[in-house]
Amino acid sequence: MKMIAKLAWRSVWRNKRRTIITVVSIGFGLAAALFFITFADGQYQKMINDSVRMQAGHITLEHPEYRDAPAVDLFVNDSTDIRREIEKLPDVEKVKLLVTGQGVARSGSGAVGVGFLGVEPSLEIQTSPLAKKIIKGEFLDDEDKRHVVIGSVLAKRLKLDIGKKMVLSTNDVNGNLVEELCRIKGIFSTGSDETDGFFILVPIAFARGLMQLPEDASTQIGVILEKQEKMKQVQKQIWNMLGSRDIVVLTWQQVMPDLNAFIKVDGGSNLVFQGIILTLVLFTIFNTILMSVLERKREFAVLLALGTSPNLLQAQVMMESVFLGLIGVFIGTVVGGAITWYYSIHGLDFSEMMTENMTVSGMAFDPIIYTHLTPGVFIILGSIVFIATVLLSVFPMRRAANTPISDVLR
Amino acid sequence: MDKIININNVIKDYGQGDVIVHALRGITLSLECGEFTSMAGPSGSGKSTLLNIIGGLDKPTTGSVEVDGRDVVSMSMAQLSHLRRNRIGFIFQNYSLIPVLTAYENAEYILVLQGVSAKKRNERIMDILKEVGLDGMENRFPRELSGGQQQRVAIARAIAPEPALVLADEPTANVDSKTGGALMDLMRKLNEEKGITFLLSTHEKIVMERARRLFVLKDGLIEFDGSPKEGINIA
Repeated sequence: MKMIAKLAWRSVWRNKRRTIITVVSIGFGLAAALFFITFADGQYQKMINDSVRMQAGHITLEHPEYRDAPAVDLFVNDSTDIRREIEKLPDVEKVKLLVTGQGVARSGSGAVGVGFLGVEPSLEIQTSPLAKKIIKGEFLDDEDKRHVVIGSVLAKRLKLDIGKKMVLSTNDVNGNLVEELCRIKGIFSTGSDETDGFFILVPIAFARGLMQLPEDASTQIGVILEKQEKMKQVQKQIWNMLGSRDIVVLTWQQVMPDLNAFIKVDGGSNLVFQGIILTLVLFTIFNTILMSVLERKREFAVLLALGTSPNLLQAQVMMESVFLGLIGVFIGTVVGGAITWYYSIHGLDFSEMMTENMTVSGMAFDPIIYTHLTPGVFIILGSIVFIATVLLSVFPMRRAANTPISDVLR
Repeated sequence: MDKIININNVIKDYGQGDVIVHALRGITLSLECGEFTSMAGPSGSGKSTLLNIIGGLDKPTTGSVEVDGRDVVSMSMAQLSHLRRNRIGFIFQNYSLIPVLTAYENAEYILVLQGVSAKKRNERIMDILKEVGLDGMENRFPRELSGGQQQRVAIARAIAPEPALVLADEPTANVDSKTGGALMDLMRKLNEEKGITFLLSTHEKIVMERARRLFVLKDGLIEFDGSPKEGINIA
């Protein structure tokens, strides 16, 4: 085998220019695929991360009927105790309690339908991207009673500013129309008109009081995980922990199906794009290997005439592909890894290209996108390219082994 | 003496339908072990076809071919590879060395396939390279050697595995007459010293003169079989 490997290695470098073009093609294709996949993944991770942190976590606990018909009386009791139990689980970063509802915000300038989130300010500051998007005033703190934080679009519609008052009307658990006067403490801007024109953040105690909910009630318990990959495992643990309690444990995909659908569709189209790039690259490789075999017909005929078995000849051609694949994958991984690593730190700024805000599930696309590096992507993509390169040698391999010796030598 | 080649009524036709070329029309021939025979004839007379059939590189249309006591016609690809690797050496007209291997490695190649140990390989190849006049040139690649030197490497490659039979297809066709004569002397010496049977196809006098037996092919038939002195004018 050593002799065959030596022959294969030297044959690979017989036509240096062609070999360099081939390995650079493999490397370029792999690097491009790595970059685009980690880029898209970075974008998806950011959207998921922002969404789950702003809303009800990677895993959401709520009343079984709430998802179908969100109503004030469909709440979870003893939420503090449940939170305490969940916090003991490994892989759980934070557990947040939420009271969400819908109502009408009124000012002297008009009325607008809104969704309000009753949050725990000190926890929300640590987890929610909204708390980091304050453009005027301040975010809520735990001492606040009737203060609210609203979006910039809503503030514009109702002509509200910091310190101004507005009235928030909604229904309480008994179905009565209730309203409270509150004061604007901060204005956020996420870039999404849907979010900035609809959401109001209020202290959770204020929301409970307004809706006449028990002191320990929440409409959702949001579980934020350290690693999203652990979601199914933690979900199962929570289900087991809850026993027969009348609470469902949902994943973010169930809570935000539109975001999930977007990622699936966008991810699918990305895969098609990557597939096209890789197919083109693989076609080049196939062409190179086949050409290299066809132009060495006489040499293969001589080797067969000397007593080389067809299997050994096939092994030689396959080894040439293995060398091409290994070098190409090495180049692709190093180059792709370096580019991906750079943009995972510095991000790629699309602010000038994104003239209009793009939103999915109420979350605006961040114009600075960071690639998301995972060893798995490198291993899987590298393996695919390498295996495909080796498989591409099957046809040229057979051609070499079936060289008609006497015809070629004549 | 034992027969190394025994051919009986071999016919080889090429083509199909109306266009059939009769390359061999019924050759019967045998070679004893240790013979140094040349096969002459004009182009298209069937010399290369006959060599290919003897070497198991091609199959006859009909007839039987025995090499070293084995029926090569009925052998599988694997059996033929084994026979060629261990019992037959080939020397081709245009050297046909592996360009990415050095002179040493070209000669070593079959020995590696035979499973000869590295130490024995080294001893045998260094001896043979010295014998063929390539002492000190073992690390040169074919492109760094002259035509004559390349053909010497091809001879070294053919005899290194210690075959019973060497088939040489116009071994002096691409070298000048002086080099051709020297190559023939070398092969003759190897034949005498090592007892290897040589069958050479040619249409050059320097080859025919140095052979101990000559047969002449014409239109796929043996026209003459005997002493070179007698047959050289027919060829």
